Amino acid sequence: MSTTEALDRDLRLLVYRHIVDEGAPPTAAQAAEELGRPTAEAEDALRRLEAGRVLVLAPGTVNVWMANPFSAVPTDFRVTSASGSWWANCVWDAFGIPAVLGEDAVISTHCADCGEALELAVRGDSLEPAEGVAHFAVPARRWWENIGYT
Amino acid sequence: MLAFRSEEHVERWCRRRAVPRGATFTLEQARRLGAAWYADRLSPDWRRPTPEEAERIFAAIGLTGDFWRLRG
Repeated sequence: MSTTEALDRDLRLLVYRHIVDEGAPPTAAQAAEELGRPTAEAEDALRRLEAGRVLVLAPGTVNVWMANPFSAVPTDFRVTSASGSWWANCVWDAFGIPAVLGEDAVISTHCADCGEALELAVRGDSLEPAEGVAHFAVPARRWWENIGYT
Repeated sequence: MLAFRSEEHVERWCRRRAVPRGATFTLEQARRLGAAWYADRLSPDWRRPTPEEAERIFAAIGLTGDFWRLRG
């Protein structure tokens, strides 16, 4: 593994660790300090991770917007487990958070049509209530044309 | 990807927004998709699934057809 690949791996793990432990990703400067690297190197690594579709940065910045399944900004998908609460990018990602954590969780969202609150409890491999549907507006091969709208 | 109470609510949402109907599937399938897709995300060895691997994950939970194709 090259030095660049090792930095990208370490930075990716640091971003996820921050989100899981503290509820938010680090800034590039914070990440650089924790990794003992210049800020410019961390910024370059963040851009590489975005180019590799590993993270999504807020447009025109090096601030992490999405480290899927987590969102760094509030959304309509709040996931709460015994160890904390996080925002997810969509309902697929909301179900990904208990998988990442290895914990049961409750997803709080709304029917996108009528606004009725939906509380979806994930316990192990079961889902309560199981009624309801998910809708993808965009075919899989076009997701990355606009990852903020799928 | 959004959540809806039922297929009828998806229909109405698409109609009101003039959005073409995409693909719908059950929340249980969405749960299985989230679990399969993200379980290893904190692993140091994680890498993006290849298109072939992604299509296999989709197919394993019944998400098949042109909408879910990533190749070609």
